[in-house]
Amino acid sequence: MAKRILIVDDEPRYLRLLEANLRTEGYEVVVAQDGVQALDVFSAQPIDLILLDVMMPRLDGFGVCQRLREFSNVPIVILTARGEEQDRVRGLDLGADDYLVKPFSATELLARVRTVLRRAQPPAEVGQARFFTHDNLKIDFARAEVWVSDEPVSLSATEYRLLLQFAHHIGKILSSEELLTSVWGVEYKTDKEILWVSIARLRQKLEEDAHSPRHIVTRSGLGYLMPPNET
Amino acid sequence: MDAATLSFLHGVFQEMQQKQDWKAALDALFASLRGSFVFDNAAIYLEDPLTQKIEVAYARAVGREKTAGADAAWGESVANDVIEKKQMIMQAPKQDGVGKGRLGLAHLLGLPLYLGFQLRGALVFVRFGGPEYSEEHIQIASLHAFWASALIERNELQKARAELNSVQSQMRLQDDFVSTISHELRTPLGFIKGYSTSLLRQDTVWDAATQREFLTIIDEESDRLAKLIEDMLESARLHSKTLQFKFSPVRVDALARDVATRIHTHFPDLKIVFDFQPTPPIQGDGTRLSQVFENLLGNAIKYASNSELVIALRAVADKVRVTVADHGEGISAEYLPFLFERFYRVPGERPVAGTGLGLYICKQIIMAHHGNIWVESALGKGSTFFIELPIEQKI
Repeated sequence: MAKRILIVDDEPRYLRLLEANLRTEGYEVVVAQDGVQALDVFSAQPIDLILLDVMMPRLDGFGVCQRLREFSNVPIVILTARGEEQDRVRGLDLGADDYLVKPFSATELLARVRTVLRRAQPPAEVGQARFFTHDNLKIDFARAEVWVSDEPVSLSATEYRLLLQFAHHIGKILSSEELLTSVWGVEYKTDKEILWVSIARLRQKLEEDAHSPRHIVTRSGLGYLMPPNET
Repeated sequence: MDAATLSFLHGVFQEMQQKQDWKAALDALFASLRGSFVFDNAAIYLEDPLTQKIEVAYARAVGREKTAGADAAWGESVANDVIEKKQMIMQAPKQDGVGKGRLGLAHLLGLPLYLGFQLRGALVFVRFGGPEYSEEHIQIASLHAFWASALIERNELQKARAELNSVQSQMRLQDDFVSTISHELRTPLGFIKGYSTSLLRQDTVWDAATQREFLTIIDEESDRLAKLIEDMLESARLHSKTLQFKFSPVRVDALARDVATRIHTHFPDLKIVFDFQPTPPIQGDGTRLSQVFENLLGNAIKYASNSELVIALRAVADKVRVTVADHGEGISAEYLPFLFERFYRVPGERPVAGTGLGLYICKQIIMAHHGNIWVESALGKGSTFFIELPIEQKI
């Protein structure tokens, strides 16, 4: 099944650029030129990935991202300007999975889309016990579902992968580099920001008190870990 | 505290509070307490932090020897003493009584003024011919000193705050401008990079039509980038007022005709009609005004190419009014207020051809001529641009 990508940008020339390249890779493409249209198009059909421009002065890209995240974990890649650190972090904070910096090359674009789509696939769990528990946290590997205190929790693909790292290495301290490489890829090895934002978001969803986390604990200078279950 | 004192103090403070100016407030304070503390002259000396010299910030002559003037040389040496010794100084008159009559018998009392915990000056009182200052007088004088410090400091803080606000809003404008520029420049760059790398991809083949399409876009965007840079420099020069305008008598009708003729050679299909009434020459910069006309006519070509263009010239009161009117597509009313803003482009379907700076630059030039530029337009009907220029330039 061909993946369908939604492009949201108010510049027709960007739409043309992105669409032309994505189609050569066999993706199906739909477009929207403003926030309202984007949400309409998104609700009307299954979308596998969204390319969202946050530089548009008239369209509030960040607002669209936030709105989407209220009801969906669809992978979102924001298109942002080089050097605008706040844009990047803000986008990630609002739930974007990744970013692409303008001006970008066509090959960069395609590589980023490929990576993000790959991350969105739930990882194959082989030979594992089906369920995992850690205090009030429960993971069902087979269905990629997560509960906290018996309430279902909605995680993005990236957040789920991150959580799995901790679950599979419970009791072991994982360095930032290790986490970035295994969840995002080797090219993200030094991108601490993306890790911080994701851990913060994960804590918001899993912990009773995000400032005193029990599931994902920080070890200053060393990394993070999920403390072993008390037996 | 007894009720009478309380009520009195309340009255004093209230009156001080109502005075906007710190000197008036101080006057009110001294006047209110005159019953308990009397003096002939008072002066405040503040030390300039840079030069470390004292300057008179306040001087009043309210008692005897009023006619001797409110100059404050009499208190300087005591003020310097106060500042140096960091304490209250009382100076009795010299025993030999040298000096003109009463003035020779000057009883001085100087008190330190602390602004923000720093000794910044002195408040000095003088009584010509006494009486000496009693303990109570000194107490009250100290009160005056505390209040004077507070009032002066409040005044300085108010000034600092006003300046801070001004600087902050300047910086915000600057920030907006810088981020807008970077956005504007990145857009064509983004296209050039994107479309060229698309063509360079080794893993796909583009058909001939698509190749041409992409290359055309790269070409157009490069042009746009060049024009953008040019316009930005122009705009920056105008904004920082480093652009020199050379004013001389200009015949607007001749100027308009020149520009129209030039444009016509490049666009022979453009129909231009002149509707000129006799107008006196104005004081202006011919080159810059030509620029304005070129821009307006250029816009007409872009947005009203099939329409007839009417350039009219009238004398209206003490001004010359030029109108450039077309029957092109017009501009929707909701966009009109923003038309002359920097980088503003009317949202629309077509790949944007302009830089968003043309009308902004026009406005800057016309404003530098102390004139006015505005537009009237209706969607589907056309647009009319108005320019008014004063005939006499006020220097």
